Amino acid sequence: MIFKIEDVTVYFPYENIYPEQYEYMVELKRSLDAKGHCLLEMPTGTGKTIALLSLITSYRLSRPDSPIKLVYCTRTVHEMEKTLAELKLLHEYQVRHLGSQAKILAIGLSSRKNLCVNPKVLAAENRDSVDAACRKRTASWVRALSAENPNVELCDYFENYEKAAENALLPPGVYTLEDLRTFGKNRGWCPYFLARHMVQFANVIVYSYQYLLDPKVAGIISKELQKETVVVFDEAHNIDNVCIEALSVSVRRVTLEGANRNLNKIRQEIDRFKATDAGRLRAEYNRLVEGLALRGDLSGTDQWLANPALPHDILKEAVPGNIRRAEHFVHVLRRLLQYLGGRLDTDNVEKESPVSFVSSLNSQAGIEQKTLKFCYDRLQSLMLTLEITDTDDFLPIQTVCDFATLVGTYARGFSIIIEPYDERMPHIPDPILQLSCHDASLAIKPVFDRFQSVVITSGTLSPIDLYPRLLSFNPVVSRSFKMSMTRDCICPMVLTRGSDQLPVSTKFDMRSDPGVVRNYGKFLVEMVSIVPDGVVCFFVSYSYMDGIIATWNETGILKEIMQQKLVFIETQDVVETTLALDNYRRACDCGRGAVFFSVAR
Amino acid sequence: MMSNQRKRLNGEREEDDEEDAEGIGEWERAYVDDRSWEALQEDESGLLRPIDNSAIYHAQYRRRLRILSAAAAGTRIQKGLIRYLYIVIDFSRAAAETDFRPSRMAIMAKHVEAFIREFFDQNPLSQIGLVSIKNGVAHTLTDLGGSPESHIQALMGKLEALGDSSLQNALELVHEHLNQVPSYGHREVLILYSALCTCDPGDIMETIQKCKKSKLRCSVIGLSAEMFICKHLCQETGGLYSVAVDEVHLKDLLLEHAPPPPAIAEFAVANLIKMGFPQRAAEGSMAICSCHKDVKIGAGYTCPRCKARVCELPTECTICGLTLVSSPHLARSYHHLFPIAPFDEVPTLSSLNDSRRKLGKCCFGCQQSLLGAGNKQGACVTCRNCKHYFCLDCDIYIHESLHNCPGCESIRRPKSVSLMEE
Repeated sequence: MIFKIEDVTVYFPYENIYPEQYEYMVELKRSLDAKGHCLLEMPTGTGKTIALLSLITSYRLSRPDSPIKLVYCTRTVHEMEKTLAELKLLHEYQVRHLGSQAKILAIGLSSRKNLCVNPKVLAAENRDSVDAACRKRTASWVRALSAENPNVELCDYFENYEKAAENALLPPGVYTLEDLRTFGKNRGWCPYFLARHMVQFANVIVYSYQYLLDPKVAGIISKELQKETVVVFDEAHNIDNVCIEALSVSVRRVTLEGANRNLNKIRQEIDRFKATDAGRLRAEYNRLVEGLALRGDLSGTDQWLANPALPHDILKEAVPGNIRRAEHFVHVLRRLLQYLGGRLDTDNVEKESPVSFVSSLNSQAGIEQKTLKFCYDRLQSLMLTLEITDTDDFLPIQTVCDFATLVGTYARGFSIIIEPYDERMPHIPDPILQLSCHDASLAIKPVFDRFQSVVITSGTLSPIDLYPRLLSFNPVVSRSFKMSMTRDCICPMVLTRGSDQLPVSTKFDMRSDPGVVRNYGKFLVEMVSIVPDGVVCFFVSYSYMDGIIATWNETGILKEIMQQKLVFIETQDVVETTLALDNYRRACDCGRGAVFFSVAR
Repeated sequence: MMSNQRKRLNGEREEDDEEDAEGIGEWERAYVDDRSWEALQEDESGLLRPIDNSAIYHAQYRRRLRILSAAAAGTRIQKGLIRYLYIVIDFSRAAAETDFRPSRMAIMAKHVEAFIREFFDQNPLSQIGLVSIKNGVAHTLTDLGGSPESHIQALMGKLEALGDSSLQNALELVHEHLNQVPSYGHREVLILYSALCTCDPGDIMETIQKCKKSKLRCSVIGLSAEMFICKHLCQETGGLYSVAVDEVHLKDLLLEHAPPPPAIAEFAVANLIKMGFPQRAAEGSMAICSCHKDVKIGAGYTCPRCKARVCELPTECTICGLTLVSSPHLARSYHHLFPIAPFDEVPTLSSLNDSRRKLGKCCFGCQQSLLGAGNKQGACVTCRNCKHYFCLDCDIYIHESLHNCPGCESIRRPKSVSLMEE
């Protein structure tokens, strides 16, 4: 259907619209007009995604002289696929009604693991090894080397893509990850680098939160987005957690050991270079002296990860003298690792602020704060100079440098926590050093400042006035919508006593009480004999569910339940649970009735 | 007198004890929602004023009529007058529950009896059969037949509840029976379901599709709770699904199925149906009755085709299978096809001064005064065609039982007058 909201003609691809979808679109339009941020809460299942997509694309169509871009952030790849599918439907509808002026380019972007089509690279097990395998074939020094040495393996798709240069463009349309892979395979171009390149030209980009919030990734992917962009964070009720995790680092013994190994390897490489090609190291030194921390304009493939600190916090100064030479830098890192190892060797839980940590680091290991700030960039530059391609092996030292840079840069909003025992195994010493960020607004502040409108939406944003304070921004619109239902569906009831007046609860200390178990069992039997079709029963944990069902079996309650309805249980195995769920649905549909025991996670 | 009183008191107390022992008695339950004593009013001298229920009753009735006529909206809906209805009653263990007093099956039996009588009253050309579900198996209590007594006797004979209930078995059995019915008949099933689940031997969805293909219209009245499978069955076959909340509601729901339902468009083909109109046999004639297989003297009807004797009408001749009816039976079915239009309400304040209308101060039907308390005009209705005035009770009687407007029937046609004059 097509209707108007004030001056915008909205193209909605379905025949019917819920009243709350319409109100949602009105509020969204108001905040777009005001060029401000907004907080909108609407329950899941009311068609939030299509309301957002259709209003923002229609808004863009109605203002052709000031086009806005849409960046849609989702939490998982699955949600990304769903969003792109809805967008495809919407796109077809709009093109049918408006013709070719409604054509847009929409792409989904994900990691190399999801977009690579080279079978040899895809054979690697996890995301980091796929990244490393890709770099082995696409790093600029590797390609330079292959010109002389034909045995060096390259990626054909990447080579074709590089050859096509400016002609490597995607025709307008909506591309899911699957579509990108198919297109790449047909044309012989690398889908991942093509998609990254098309980010500047696309009208709608769908990717995950990390690509905008995590400074390490956002610095590469999202640095070219301009101000006239609407950013939507979907299912954003945990966005403060994502922001905090983006700026938090934890270091374990195993990390330190890995870092030590990495340092040894780096040392070997440096010695090798000193013997064969000393000129390269000297060139790097000169560059650093001249104040260029990085090697200027890096090609897209060489940049592995950007600085973990936020863009405006990165010091744009010359790298300090004591780490300009490669060997000195390696020495500094070794002292740092030693200090960290010493700190981990404690029996008590310790908490410290970054300032005191840095000052104790200074007094014990002789490393200054300014040195710490440049650790990351220096490591990056060193690894590029040494032409290291096995990036997945070097993750530990990268984590340590992450830690060092963040500790050096930020004085407030963080704290360092050292725990000697892991909470899962309270008696085995497994110390962990955590740099935790407390302030969720730190990571998201650049997003709010940089983009014209940020929409934070979810099904559960209550209490909604908490979010402006948590993320420290001022929304122009902050509203909650209700779901309209055709009849009463929900009847909440809290059970505090069983039918013999014993208090019942799932508190940990009351769980094994036979009276409580019996009361819950009797209650379930009564419900099952009155409620038609299906009953779903959620338990607190798998162990509790197993225990209570075993007890019910012994006391005969389970048999009574089975006389009325069939019983299905969720297990930790995905296949079994899917089967059980499917059979539960069939039993309810054909009138036999069923009970499903599950765990609420 | 004293002993009588004491006996009565004792009797009541025993009754009370019996019911108290079972929790809130039925007598109390009836008063929980409807505290009729609070509606009592006193007039000036302290005497109780009788409660005027009729206004409420009439308002409900008018509302119902308006809904029905709005649905019909002037178009003639084709209805199935020759109906072959199977009543399936669920005698599984859920039927022994006592949330309907004295038990679900007793209430079901009582109301099904009333329904059967009402059904034959409104649909004299149709036939009913009874099926019961017991222990997961469906049994035929009676085959399709037109005599109410045999059905009621078979039903009241076996009232016991045990085992599971199986919807699929019942549907299969009914489907088998109804497949043998001639194509001009409308095939219907009315299921009284008291269980909460159904234990089927196979795929019930297939059975539902089979029923749909055979044009079986299945309706369900549930006594416990709404089930998805029943809703699906009724939606697929075009029937009605309702769940009874109490005894009165159950009766209303059952009686809703007595008047013929609208026919399904693509299945209602116009056909010529052969029927016989037998003559009543002479008083002293002797013949062997084909239904009792015995010699009978006197009252009976002779089938016009095979000359066999049958005892009562309407029926199917056992020898040659001809449907035997008498003309009043057809006439009784006629009003379903041409329902009388609802009467219009007369606004109370206007017409007293309107001398042009033939107001008269009496209802045309019962000749009682239309004036209410204090010489004001009481509520009345008027027929659109003959413009006569009727009181509320006559309105209900005309629409529910009489099916003819006395005013319209008593209009003298000018043609016949001129004929008579000639």
